[in-house]
Amino acid sequence: MARSEGLPVPGAHVSRPATEIDEVDLVPVRTYWQLVRRRFLQHRMAAIALVLMVVLIVASIAFPLIGGDAWFKTSLTHGPKDPSSLAAPLGYDNLGINIFYRLMRGLQTSLTIGFFAVLIIAGLGTTVGSIAGYLGGWVDNVLMRVVDIVLSLPTFFLVLMFVAFMGSGNVFVIIFAIGLTGWTTAARLVRAEFLRLRESDFVQAAKALGASDRRIVIRHMIPSALAPVVVASTLGIADSVVTEAALSFLGFGLRPPEASLGNMLTNAQDYFYRQPLWIWYPGITLILLVLAASFLGDGLRDALDPRQRIEA
Amino acid sequence: MATYIVRRLLQAIPIVIGISVISFLIVHLTPGSPIDKFRTPRVSPETINNLIRLYGLDESIPVQFGKWFSKFWLFPFDNTAWGYSFTDGLPVRDKIFARIPSTLWLTGMSLLVTVIVAIPIGVLQAVRQYSWSDKIITTFSTIGYALPTFWLGLMLKQTFSVQLNLFPLFGQNSFGKQGDLLDLLWHLVLPVTTLAVIQVAGWSRYMRASMLEVLRQDYIRTARSKGLADRQVIFKHALRNAMIPIVTLLGLTVPALLSGAAITETVFSWPGLGFLGVQAVTERDYPVVLATVMIGGVMVILGNLLADVAYAVVDPRITY
Repeated sequence: MARSEGLPVPGAHVSRPATEIDEVDLVPVRTYWQLVRRRFLQHRMAAIALVLMVVLIVASIAFPLIGGDAWFKTSLTHGPKDPSSLAAPLGYDNLGINIFYRLMRGLQTSLTIGFFAVLIIAGLGTTVGSIAGYLGGWVDNVLMRVVDIVLSLPTFFLVLMFVAFMGSGNVFVIIFAIGLTGWTTAARLVRAEFLRLRESDFVQAAKALGASDRRIVIRHMIPSALAPVVVASTLGIADSVVTEAALSFLGFGLRPPEASLGNMLTNAQDYFYRQPLWIWYPGITLILLVLAASFLGDGLRDALDPRQRIEA
Repeated sequence: MATYIVRRLLQAIPIVIGISVISFLIVHLTPGSPIDKFRTPRVSPETINNLIRLYGLDESIPVQFGKWFSKFWLFPFDNTAWGYSFTDGLPVRDKIFARIPSTLWLTGMSLLVTVIVAIPIGVLQAVRQYSWSDKIITTFSTIGYALPTFWLGLMLKQTFSVQLNLFPLFGQNSFGKQGDLLDLLWHLVLPVTTLAVIQVAGWSRYMRASMLEVLRQDYIRTARSKGLADRQVIFKHALRNAMIPIVTLLGLTVPALLSGAAITETVFSWPGLGFLGVQAVTERDYPVVLATVMIGGVMVILGNLLADVAYAVVDPRITY
């Protein structure tokens, strides 16, 4: 359709001499992502958390690379009585293993498990939530009953049971178990978004244009419904990491020589009297990780919600 | 109200069946079997077969499930209906019921401490919003919320049992002091603190938010403009309304505490349900594991129902 010329559309730019300053042009146009970044950075704790998270991720990648096999290499010449040095800032443990490198390796394990578990949570949650929300009817009913059932199961105990029976010490089993019990929140959020979006104008328009269900869901609805999933996933990292640590602490997760913040705590427990600092290292690392993930989640929630638009 | 409760209970039936199927399948379809520990060269295949028959593991999974499920749910007053433990041969029901008082002590006390501490903190924060005390408490509650239970338990043990020698390291009673209430309370201090610190962090946040919401209402302004004392406005007008969402929280926390106490109970070797469950998982004691999961699931369902009913009871504006 040819655009009608000559008739200025209200709000559209009309060419004018360059000297004349238009008031409207003084207001910068902000895209959605610019607004998101602005809102996120205004949340001071979230910005700090982002920095902390980046530092933790970089450390968990860099130090195990630098240290090589230091995270499991025992030594007969080093021991807990060695003073801390540049090579071993946190000293050596009862087997002569460099605690700092072991800690970094444990952090790496935690982050890896947290990341992949959250990937399952987000993937499964989005799939179930979008199917339930888009199709509605009996499919929705059945899927939501499944969600109710999973929510009613004692989560930690179920994970424990699954991991213990499927084979303790297996990273994949741990990731799978955490993912399979944790997707319900994401599914509910996506479903709620889909119920709202289904009636929205742009979805109706896509339908009227004859787009297939598949195209509507994947191209139009999922991108719009993703904000709550991103938030839930970030917060889910905190839960997954703590669950893994608790499993390893109880002896069902990763076992030495594999390094995990949880099994480092189990080991530290045996040195309560002689090495009281040992339970601080993995504990503080775990808390920093959890705090970073939860503040990041809070900040993202505030930033991604378009209903909280800041007047520019 | 009665019809609402009945309807909710009927809706719970498919959920109970679902929980039973899922946990039964996890227990029975995973590799390994409780018989494995007896398979040594000195045990004859005949004995192994007898054991398999004794535990009822020779039948097909659907038959096993049918037998277990019908007995578990249809004969709640039959002591043997939940089967016998694979480890010591005691009726599962007896084992479970023997642990309930310990768990109730732990959860009950920590809930009591939580309510007593968290509600005043939340009110104080809301009344003095953005003050220094509000900011400091918010920081502490954020950190408290991030503390992993088992780590906090370990820290408390190390500080107060190992270094200061004030409280016992583990267990429910000192040797030879079974049934001594003071001794029990003394043993309760650390595990209750562990659970309460994390609960207080969460609850005070809710309380603060709820109180702030109420303080913004018109009727609070009216009460203030009538010239009522601050104390009266806060405690008589605001607090009672701000408590309504907290009642719901109570219903949702109880089941979480009962099953979530598993970690705390294990850290302190507290002889409760959670500790029993963790031990049973370690020993592949199928009947005990299943019974623990079932009890956990039923607690969640009843807790949700209780939360909704309590909501209607304390808030007359809500009817079902």
